Amino acid sequence: MTELIKTPRTGETLPVKAGKRTNPLANVFDELVRFAQSRSLFMLHYCTGCGAIELPPSMTSRFDMERLGIQPMVSPRQADILLVTGYVSVKTLKRIILTYEQMGSPKYVIGICSCTVNGGMYWQSYATAKKLNDYMPVDIYIAGCMPRPEAVIAGLRELMENIRQGKADSWKDYYRHYDHYLGHQQRLFGETWQTPTDVIAEARHYGLFGPDTLGTHTALLEQHQRPLEALEMKVDIPELMARR
Amino acid sequence: MRPENYEAQRQPPSHEYELNIGPNHPGIEGNYAFKLRLHGDRVLEGKADAGYLHRGFEKLMEGRLWIQNLAITPRICVPDPVPMEVSYCLAVEELCGLEIPERAQWLRVLQLELSRIAAHLFTFGGHAATTGMYSPMFWGIADRDLVLDLFEELTGGRVYHIYNIPGGVRRDAPDGFLDRVRSTLDYLDSRLPDYDNLLFTNQVFVHRAKGVGTMSREQALEWGVTGPNLRATGLEFDVRRDDPYLVYDDLDFDIPTEEAGDAWARTLVRRKELVQSIRIARQVIAALPSIAGPIRCPIPNPLAWNVPAGSVYTRVESSKGELAWYVVSNGGERPYRTHVRGPSQMHAVQVLEKLSVGCRLEDVAQTMFSLDACPPEVDR
Repeated sequence: MTELIKTPRTGETLPVKAGKRTNPLANVFDELVRFAQSRSLFMLHYCTGCGAIELPPSMTSRFDMERLGIQPMVSPRQADILLVTGYVSVKTLKRIILTYEQMGSPKYVIGICSCTVNGGMYWQSYATAKKLNDYMPVDIYIAGCMPRPEAVIAGLRELMENIRQGKADSWKDYYRHYDHYLGHQQRLFGETWQTPTDVIAEARHYGLFGPDTLGTHTALLEQHQRPLEALEMKVDIPELMARR
Repeated sequence: MRPENYEAQRQPPSHEYELNIGPNHPGIEGNYAFKLRLHGDRVLEGKADAGYLHRGFEKLMEGRLWIQNLAITPRICVPDPVPMEVSYCLAVEELCGLEIPERAQWLRVLQLELSRIAAHLFTFGGHAATTGMYSPMFWGIADRDLVLDLFEELTGGRVYHIYNIPGGVRRDAPDGFLDRVRSTLDYLDSRLPDYDNLLFTNQVFVHRAKGVGTMSREQALEWGVTGPNLRATGLEFDVRRDDPYLVYDDLDFDIPTEEAGDAWARTLVRRKELVQSIRIARQVIAALPSIAGPIRCPIPNPLAWNVPAGSVYTRVESSKGELAWYVVSNGGERPYRTHVRGPSQMHAVQVLEKLSVGCRLEDVAQTMFSLDACPPEVDR
């Protein structure tokens, strides 16, 4: 069975064959891959709030996260886990969303500290976003102010177990319900909010395009998109020479 | 990527370029950004970009009871939370005219000094990591955990211990606690030569840190620098000695200084302060058993506590510098206005902006870590 898919960049439609699983060992391979995924996790080194102070003890000698196969990674492109450690101010939330969208799938989000659950200590603050779940799907919450390293490691182990069983698939929610998440983002940042990642095209790419991917909020996205101007390089060589 | 969302800015051709460090960057000290304009690897201009951690503390505190505010005060500075709560308690006590029992004062001093040790051990690790050495980080954090264990036993919390309350402290030291503090201090003392070999006399570190981010004493005073950063320029100023609070005037300790005013001097001052903090903590342990009495003076019902009208400014010496609270009360059950003077705001914004000019790209992170700025305290 073939499906016509419109490519985002060039706009042409290409026939794509929907894969049918004929290999009898496919499930075995799946299990193996999931096991391997759960035992080699790179977490993004982005300390967003005060919960980040308990991460160095969990990563270094005493609690040693590395024995579980979890290591910090500096770039979002190669990271698997986004740790949101603590309160998220509006300015940070923009960066977190940009970071989250840059990460390659499958990706997992862990909300550490009570502030990501319901606002925590800053429930009445004018500057923080209260529920992280409104802006991006969260796999594991670790409540506490602040959670001890044992709690952080217990949460990570639960995530590993979920990955092994194939239950940690919240990243698919972001594609299936993009309109919902974008709506919350637009409510906070204004309706002209744009991110450089084409989430809708990615949803099509992963085969996760659902009925809630597009909606009233994604329509605003199209509406406020800036027109693309042709770039031209102009190098004024005499002026360059004069500057030297 | 949708290229149409990025508008390329047309600029004249030049050898200069801009570089953003942070907020998501391993070389930055927390959630904080620094924008650089560079020529080659020389920094022409640095611009601090704070606000990622703004929670609106001063406004939040106006809406909460005096006693409720205790819970959020330590959250201002995460690595060194104790001076925040002690300073706030001192402010409320001064407004109410409360007389703090002596035993509570000594317990507070013990807690302040242990917190300073923990914060300095944490800073060394970060500073060493910016010069490419990761072992001091592992050692420092492992040793800091021993101090956190003591805090957990005394207060119940590892990082945030809301142990102080206006009028005293919440509970007395448990049985055998002082012996455990003593043995931890002995262990930390025995580790100092190892730290010297690993970091402070390590030629890699000495060559990298010497001459980086130098400021003179006049500049430091002009820019509002306090704490170890000011003492690294040769000025012997410490709130603990020059404006004593609690029982610091009964204690015997030196104020270490250095003359150079660069990253190396700042680190050395902190290294020497570790010795002094251990010395103060040992004096407290020796004195505490002979000081009997209550740990808390009676306070009115904290849920209906009208603090007398007035305004106070109390300051303490935190591991980052001079930390002060300005608290105004209009006689109500909530503060009318609070303001916290965090030392990191000066260090991370104006001082870092000025020190980074002319410095090399790889030394920017080191300059920031040597100033020991704490981003949650910058934004508040």
